[in-house]
Amino acid sequence: MDLYYPVNTFGPAMKGMVLGGLGIFHVFLAMFAIGGGMLMCYFQWLAQTGRNPYARRFVDDYFKLLVLISFVVGAVTGVAMWFVSIQVSPRTIGMMVGEFHWVWGIEWTFFSLEITAGYCFYRYSKVLTDTARFRLLLIYAVASWFSLFWINGILSWQLTPGNWPETRWMWDGFFNPSFFPSLLFRTVTAMTVGSLVACVVINAVPWLDRPAKESLIHRAAHLLAPMALMPFLGAWFLFTMPPDSRAMALGGNITMTMFMGASIGASALIGLYALVGMLRQQLYINGATASLLCMLAFVATGGGEFVREGVRKPYSIRKTLYSNSVTQADVARLRKIGCVTNDPYPMRNPEQYPNEQLLLGAKVYRFHCSVCHTVNGANGLSELCSSWSTEQKRLNIAQLQRTKAFMPPFAGNNLELEALVQYVSWENANRPADWKETDDPAVLEQIQRWLDEVGVESGIVLEEHLTQGSTH
Amino acid sequence: MDTVFPFGFPGPTAFYLTLLVAVFMIHVLFMNYVLAGSAYLAAHTVLFGSADDGTPLSRILRDWLPFMLSAAITAGIAPLLFLQIVYRENFYTANLLLFYRWMAILPVLIAGFYLLYILKSKRIGHWPFVARAAVGVGAFAGFMFVAWSWVENHLLSVHPDVWVEQYASGVLVYRPFELFPRLALWVVGSFPTMALMLAWQVWWESRLDTGMPTAEQTRGAHRTAMIALIAIVLTSICAGAYSLLMPPAARDVVFSMLTLPYVILSVIGVTLELIAWVPQLRAGRLKLVWLSVATVGLMLHFCGMTVINESTRLAAIDISTRYAEHAASAKIGGRWAFGFFLLLNLGLMAYCIRLTSMRRPPEETIETPEKP
Repeated sequence: MDLYYPVNTFGPAMKGMVLGGLGIFHVFLAMFAIGGGMLMCYFQWLAQTGRNPYARRFVDDYFKLLVLISFVVGAVTGVAMWFVSIQVSPRTIGMMVGEFHWVWGIEWTFFSLEITAGYCFYRYSKVLTDTARFRLLLIYAVASWFSLFWINGILSWQLTPGNWPETRWMWDGFFNPSFFPSLLFRTVTAMTVGSLVACVVINAVPWLDRPAKESLIHRAAHLLAPMALMPFLGAWFLFTMPPDSRAMALGGNITMTMFMGASIGASALIGLYALVGMLRQQLYINGATASLLCMLAFVATGGGEFVREGVRKPYSIRKTLYSNSVTQADVARLRKIGCVTNDPYPMRNPEQYPNEQLLLGAKVYRFHCSVCHTVNGANGLSELCSSWSTEQKRLNIAQLQRTKAFMPPFAGNNLELEALVQYVSWENANRPADWKETDDPAVLEQIQRWLDEVGVESGIVLEEHLTQGSTH
Repeated sequence: MDTVFPFGFPGPTAFYLTLLVAVFMIHVLFMNYVLAGSAYLAAHTVLFGSADDGTPLSRILRDWLPFMLSAAITAGIAPLLFLQIVYRENFYTANLLLFYRWMAILPVLIAGFYLLYILKSKRIGHWPFVARAAVGVGAFAGFMFVAWSWVENHLLSVHPDVWVEQYASGVLVYRPFELFPRLALWVVGSFPTMALMLAWQVWWESRLDTGMPTAEQTRGAHRTAMIALIAIVLTSICAGAYSLLMPPAARDVVFSMLTLPYVILSVIGVTLELIAWVPQLRAGRLKLVWLSVATVGLMLHFCGMTVINESTRLAAIDISTRYAEHAASAKIGGRWAFGFFLLLNLGLMAYCIRLTSMRRPPEETIETPEKP
């Protein structure tokens, strides 16, 4: 697999922030499309069985919004996810596409069906019979849910590949341990989002009076009822996670824990409001409240997605590809030959580095660290290491997976490691014009000893060794 | 390169190349409609605003372009997928080298989408001329930007020799001498497709009405034939000029055994198109038989051109270095499931279209109150 690609950075923003921001936005829109489809099926059924006289016209209005938002921004951000993934980690997306291209292909057939059914309804719904309307909406809803079904298999595989690393059989990876809890959890989330957006739209429709709005909101709230299952589904999902990932979410990594807490809190608030206000009809949901609930749903979705992405570390594909796009076998090889020795892409503006060692260090940073860190911006390396002595930097980077178990092992030789240490120190010192190169053989030997001692396995595996009583 | 495409390649490579070409043809069909259609609408908006130009073309385009753009994007996902299988390193590297420039096509597409919806709305008829023109031209300019970016990305992807220099320079524009001739070929070549698809739409409308074309439809028929014929001639000139300008290695491949049958196929297709359009221009009337002949011609032309396009890429890339990856990809499970769901969902798509004929009787009342 190709190792070297041109590397771009997003200034002070981490690449993961860009990918995550877009991803959360796209996921929310996708949830809207899926939940919206289910809601419209339900409303069409209400209309044709005479249970609600306003439901039919509302379906037409809601569908216009769905087409204008989901079919446009949702579809294009889906493509954008691919493009941004290439910018962040071409190797990771390359492996995902390579291993699951037929699944992506299947998902594409369902997406095409979704678009076809959607546009048929959009163009002709007003002149169609109830039967035709319902069937089109049903096909639309089922197709959009199956899009989720297929993509969910690939995304959950990244965290819990199951038996796939041993068998390399695609279906082993697809139907992985977290597949079903994740699928069901996302389905409930989609229903919630579809319902809450409907509440916003109902309030925005000018031709409905208050009692009509109340009746529709009450019906839309029925799709919130499955939220009661969320705690169980969430617990099931946590249970299927690898123990180290679960530990990160449950306090081991306070950022993950806080995001998970925010997600659970936001979901709980929505659930509470749904129970009291909408299902038991104790409160009226006006446009502002409905919008606020939608925002809470966005926070909950964002928090959940952040945790799902974060607890995969130090891997982007568990036990296969580290988060900086190298495999364990690569680490072993690059420890010998150097991680940037064969990197054909030079540093831009090389004249800004006072010596060759710093230039090398910058190149090592670009190859090894820049996927998750910036130099001086978000998650900035300079800031993270600012209080470390030079000796500490050498040890901590040499045994990176022991420094933090969610970090991948250092994948370079001792000269590159020393160059990286000097580069970080130079950045800490505000990039002075003069900087002395270091070449003490004793230091390099010490670094090599540390590298040899820690090996090329991840910190998680080392922890497992310790737990089982063996020494590495 | 001495065996007809795709037979000279190992099985897995030939399989993925064939799939890539096949799905790319579907994408190009919709893409051409959007690119040429938005150009026509931009000109129409500048010249007539939202007023009638005496043909149904602008009305049909306004009505259908948002859907066609959606279809173009959806159909574009499949070639994008197989592109990543066949030419992964080249495609990813070109993406990375163009960076923001490349990523900009996504917001531009979203903006283009909404501009098309604005063009479709009745409200734009009340807007001042400058605003109307800005919307029409803005949509077309957006799609031209996307077309330009794709051509640039393609050319960068097939020139690995410039990658390092391009990265070191930090410049996000790649402008080889081939860029504009190639872009011109794609843009001009999009018009015959749009003209044919529009012609089918005009024909279908006249069939739904009385069976006899109205004066407006006759003028529309005349104009689609005119657009098609002029564009076919211009496309042929552009193709000839581009073949002279392209790198010698690529030209040699185009006229090698790998591609020559497809060049012939393309020429046959163009000839059929010309034969079909001339009587329709003369008569000012669209006939099923001639439209069918033009469609067969366009399909042959499409097939020929997409293979020629692929062969110029194969001339620049040493595909043999990818054989092992293609073989590994071919062993991955799921292809039968893909085939099954492809057929199933194609059937369901056809069923969706059939469902649109289940119309409610006009006299049937709808119980939804207008103003409760």
